[in-house]
Amino acid sequence: MEPKKHKETDDMKNFIHYNAYSIEEAVMLLARYGKNACVISGGTDLLGKMKDRVLPTYPEALINIKTIPGLNAIEEKTGKLSIGALATLTQVAEHETVRSNCAALAQAAGRTASPHLRNMGTIAGNICQDIRCWYYRAPKNRFSCLRKGGGRCYAIKGDNRFHSIFGGSVKGGCVAVHPSDTAPALIALDADIITSKRTIKAEEFFNVGVLHTTTVLEDNEIVTAIEVPTQNSVTKSAFIKFALRKSIDFPIVNCAAAITRDGETVTAARICLNAVSVVPKRVKPAEDRLVGETINEKHVGEAGAAAVSDAEPLEKNAYMVELAKAIVKRTILACGDTEGG
Amino acid sequence: MADHEIKPSICPYCKKEFDSIDAMKQHVFKAHRGSDPPSPEGDIRLNINGNDYYLSVEPRWTLYDVIHDRLGLTGSKQFCDRGACGSCTVIMDGKAVLSCMILAIECDGKAIETVEGIAEKNHPLIESYVKHHAMQCGYCTPGFVTTSKALLDRNIHPTENEIKEELSGNLCRCGTYPQHTIAVLETAEKLRTGKADGAEKAQGDG
Repeated sequence: MEPKKHKETDDMKNFIHYNAYSIEEAVMLLARYGKNACVISGGTDLLGKMKDRVLPTYPEALINIKTIPGLNAIEEKTGKLSIGALATLTQVAEHETVRSNCAALAQAAGRTASPHLRNMGTIAGNICQDIRCWYYRAPKNRFSCLRKGGGRCYAIKGDNRFHSIFGGSVKGGCVAVHPSDTAPALIALDADIITSKRTIKAEEFFNVGVLHTTTVLEDNEIVTAIEVPTQNSVTKSAFIKFALRKSIDFPIVNCAAAITRDGETVTAARICLNAVSVVPKRVKPAEDRLVGETINEKHVGEAGAAAVSDAEPLEKNAYMVELAKAIVKRTILACGDTEGG
Repeated sequence: MADHEIKPSICPYCKKEFDSIDAMKQHVFKAHRGSDPPSPEGDIRLNINGNDYYLSVEPRWTLYDVIHDRLGLTGSKQFCDRGACGSCTVIMDGKAVLSCMILAIECDGKAIETVEGIAEKNHPLIESYVKHHAMQCGYCTPGFVTTSKALLDRNIHPTENEIKEELSGNLCRCGTYPQHTIAVLETAEKLRTGKADGAEKAQGDG
């Protein structure tokens, strides 16, 4: 018996489904299908796209990697914390060492989406997720936008209130922002992304140079783990997110920072904003402004202003510049306050 | 794509890869003689509310499609169908998850509890929900009840903030939010003191 459906548009078309039992098998299947297969782990991003028929080429096959054993473990190794690709956001947010040593990551994972989605969504899926631009995500590819190989970016002249304040990327356009909460935390903590082929610095992982991608991953490459270096005792990190509602919503602006201090003086800082640009944006001017100074209202204010010094807001999103400025400031202050890492 | 062509010589039982079909056949003959035939992709077993269901599913069917439309357990509701509202929440392996965003084919062997299972056990949540009238139209209620049950299974001493946080993925258009916190707090109290009818049973099964 075919399940009844309320709305015809919600029907997913059929596809071939594989359960992969090893990373090698998943990679082999991906290589076989090229661009016509998608990897599914939590599925919370992919199934939404398939239901809305957002993908221009509907995937021929889905490769389930949840069946690969041991890929959800969070392990402490020498000098680093290894988080398996399939570790759920709940696992990351509640893990003792992540909370104590990489506070920004635990806070970011704990603020992503809603509790249900955190039980399903994985850390690797969170960094590999697609953009949420409403023109891109409009059901049935209603807008043939740049990211789909179409002629123009509809957001540049359209409703761009949640789009990039730091300019576009693809072919001089596409101002859709990267929506991940954990990405800025991973960049601030200088994590490594381990794939089936290589190790990539979190900072270099995100890319919108090619159509339909948000990462530098190749067609037959999957993320297998994320390694976060153990933060030393004088480094404090924090994450702050602004969204319309506290739960469920994607960020309008979020920020993660890791600040190392010698006594009161900042010796090193890594600050990363996200949801403001086409990729997570590490704000070096703000970092430079802070190094060698103490954390106080004046210095963090200047760092916040430095972070958005090169902003070029669109017609409807100038408010995001002010938000970004304030959130950079608050995140740095939070690093000064927190007791734990 | 030709150089990436998949080898057809993968053991259907243990997924081990071989250089040739003959080698695979020999392996199957040696290692798997007498074992049950491998189940074809799409045949799954779901344990729902303690009952085993053996089903043949299409890859595109979500867990919600199977539970609601195929098995007729109509307690879980579909509203947004995009994982944003919590109406279709079920408890899978002890965690509250959204059945509209999970493919049924990927749930093979999972233990699932739906609002019907909670009703069968006469869980004290139900009494508290009725007493505090934590519903208006009632469409979102099963989602709230399953989410609360998952929380209480894990933590019998939830604070008000923990309950609010846990229920923050469930939407209610009627605005019954304050009542849920009251109902869940009272249920937790009942479960701790063991006063409620069926509380012992619910705890034992939980």
